[in-house]
Amino acid sequence: MKKVININFQGRVIPIEENAFEILNKYVESLRKFFANEEGRDEIINDIEGRIAELFGETLKKGGTCITEDDVNRIIDSMGRPEDFDDEEANVKSQLGGEQKQQSYQHESQYANTTQEAKKLFRDENRKFLGGVCSGLANYFGIDPLVVRILFVIFFGVTFIPYLILWVAVPSTATQVIGSVRKRLFRDSDDKVIAGVCSGLSQYFGVSVWIPRLLFLIPFFSFVFRFGNWGLWDFPSFLSVSFSPGSLFIYIILWMVLPEAKTSADKLEMKGEKVDLNNIKNTIQGDLEGFGKRAQKFGEEFSQRANQFGQTVGEKGKEFGETVAEKTTQFANEANTVTRKRSGGLGNFIALIAKIFAYFILGCILFAVVAALFSLGVLFTGLLPAKGYLINNGLQTVFTWGTLLLFIWVPVVGVVVFIIRRITKMKGNSNIIRWSFSGLWTLGWVCVICLIASLSKEFKYRNNPIEETIQLSNPTVEKLEVKANSFGKYYRRNNWFQIEPFASLDEDTVFVRNVRIRIVKTKTDSFSVKMVKFSNGRSRQNANVLVSHINYNINQIDSTLLLEKGISITPQDKFRNQNVLITIAVPIGKRIVIKSNSGWDWSHNARVSFGTNDDFENAWDSDDEVEQRWRHDVEYIMTKDGLKRTNQLSNSDDEDDYDSSDKLRNYKKSKEEVQKELEETERKANELKKELQTPMPADSSTYKYQPTKPSKQAAPVKNTAKEYSSNGNALMLRYSI
Amino acid sequence: MDIQNTQSQMRKGVLEFCILSIIRQGEVYPSDIVDKMKAANLHILEGTLYPLLTRLKNAGYLTYRWVESNSGPPRKYFVMTETGLTFYNELEKTWNELADAVQALTQPTEGNNNNQL
Repeated sequence: MKKVININFQGRVIPIEENAFEILNKYVESLRKFFANEEGRDEIINDIEGRIAELFGETLKKGGTCITEDDVNRIIDSMGRPEDFDDEEANVKSQLGGEQKQQSYQHESQYANTTQEAKKLFRDENRKFLGGVCSGLANYFGIDPLVVRILFVIFFGVTFIPYLILWVAVPSTATQVIGSVRKRLFRDSDDKVIAGVCSGLSQYFGVSVWIPRLLFLIPFFSFVFRFGNWGLWDFPSFLSVSFSPGSLFIYIILWMVLPEAKTSADKLEMKGEKVDLNNIKNTIQGDLEGFGKRAQKFGEEFSQRANQFGQTVGEKGKEFGETVAEKTTQFANEANTVTRKRSGGLGNFIALIAKIFAYFILGCILFAVVAALFSLGVLFTGLLPAKGYLINNGLQTVFTWGTLLLFIWVPVVGVVVFIIRRITKMKGNSNIIRWSFSGLWTLGWVCVICLIASLSKEFKYRNNPIEETIQLSNPTVEKLEVKANSFGKYYRRNNWFQIEPFASLDEDTVFVRNVRIRIVKTKTDSFSVKMVKFSNGRSRQNANVLVSHINYNINQIDSTLLLEKGISITPQDKFRNQNVLITIAVPIGKRIVIKSNSGWDWSHNARVSFGTNDDFENAWDSDDEVEQRWRHDVEYIMTKDGLKRTNQLSNSDDEDDYDSSDKLRNYKKSKEEVQKELEETERKANELKKELQTPMPADSSTYKYQPTKPSKQAAPVKNTAKEYSSNGNALMLRYSI
Repeated sequence: MDIQNTQSQMRKGVLEFCILSIIRQGEVYPSDIVDKMKAANLHILEGTLYPLLTRLKNAGYLTYRWVESNSGPPRKYFVMTETGLTFYNELEKTWNELADAVQALTQPTEGNNNNQL
């Protein structure tokens, strides 16, 4: 009499003897263990159980009341036990590329791979001259290495950099044949300060740890010292602004992207050593201290596993394990000798140095590219405060954001990610990523175009320019000094970013230095000032309205003409090329000076032009007129022929001193002086001559000084012709220049 | 012992090919396959068959559909796919080459007797 239980087997209720159930259970367990590493393990077990259930059903149908022990055993026999599967399984596994746990299989398959992949580009370590680049290339293309070498040497200047790049990037046969792994970029968590990014980088490039740390930190220092000039070290402005956030940005990206080197194998991969047991032993020795000889250990391990296997399989497994152990000892010895050969040798040392150098240059180039792209992004983000004054709400805002994010930032991020993926050889859906980035960037282009189109509409029309005459309180002064009105308002300079002419940016106004001054001649005898205001707009009316909002004051105090520094624009009006043109008419003979206050430079005008379609343009916008070519702090006097400089310069430190017209002037000046001197002496000579020619009075009662006559004086000195002539020359010299 | 090893190696080689041949002829479920192979005198254990079928399916050479049955749980009926057919043709070519080669080698040459085999 046996106990019968009901089980729910594959969705059906099956009555089965209890001990039969135990046997069944054990069988399914053994199946689970056997297929533990199989990919579709659950599915297989399910299928087998299903088949068993079917057989149970048939048995029950044939008239049995329950499943007995015999039934179960019979069914298991027909299905087969795991031990029996083994022979048939093993080979099928490798045929379908199933996972192999035994390293020897791995190595064998890698051997097979190398012969199949003979046509991949690699560097030929066996036939190398310097780095094996030429040999590898020759092998890949199927031509003589000598030809490739000659080509490289002939075009040395051009091929030098590519050679270095190939040397660094192309894997060598050593890594394939010996079965080791290429260096991979990891984060080194053992040697970390923040996140081990720099350590990992240093391991990969083979440089000391402090080099990448310094590279990341230097920009931080530059940011701190931005406002001082380091003597010769004036960082270009984009570097100062973008380098430091840039390097932090890159650091964070690397932190997220690089995997951490956790296992010993990872750590060895990071350091670029071969991942075979020799090196694992070395590493583990450091950690745990003490292991046996490598080959023995491997053989031991493997024979241990073979023994385990042998317990369930039997003799076959053991034999197999032993032969494999033999093979691997041979193999590992080979690897050992090759390592010894490679270490040492001056050529290798030079190669190492050159490699480090190449890596460094590569790193710098990449870094510079990323920094440049990043700075572009920063530049446009910095323009953001000015957005309110340029863009209308609504569609334009959308376009602006779209432009900023998609057009500028997407390529930056995309390139950075691309570079990182290339460095780390990360796999992934590169196609998807590439397509998505391209798509976003195209969208950015669309946004840019739309933005430009809609902006140009805003600037299309100009207003009707009307000339206003400013009343001067005292138009008949001799000299007019033109100064900027600097009191009354405090202009906060936007420290972080500054674009002319947006001198300052508040929440509700922006201040634009769009003022031009022309100096013309007038026939009257008093100064006069005229002002014309300009603006663009959506339509002519809109432009006129905007012009009426321009608030610009000109005052005269004694001989000083005070102008406002610029035009303030509100967000409602928006910046639409508002500018002011001032014409100062100077009478002939009067003087004028335009002072430059600190930072007030006329030469910066904001112009946004999308083509001209207005009649008044030509009359007012000719910048080439001579009247507009004046310099700050130089006093001019108006003459018949136009503005001329007076001799004095109000500010001797003026940089205008060193232009050619000044030199010319100085030269002319000295020539004048010399002319004058010449006239002077000529005059004196004439006077003397007259005196000489006037007859002496005959009366000799009074002693009169008798001026020596040249001819008389010359007589006693008639001795030698030479002396005569020399004296004559001396005389002539005295009276001439 | 050695002979068994060699024999099983020979069987292993052709196993996949035979199974694929059976499936190619039409939709079958696993126990059918076992029966047919038994009929052809090539014995296979079901425990070997199921993993193999699963692997072939994962590789994309086979697909299956579930068919409800009265006398038990639903069954998987396997069918060969396009890629499976290509794979099969390759194997068939190889098999034919192999068969010809073996045939040629085992044919007695002049002077050799059949009882060498």
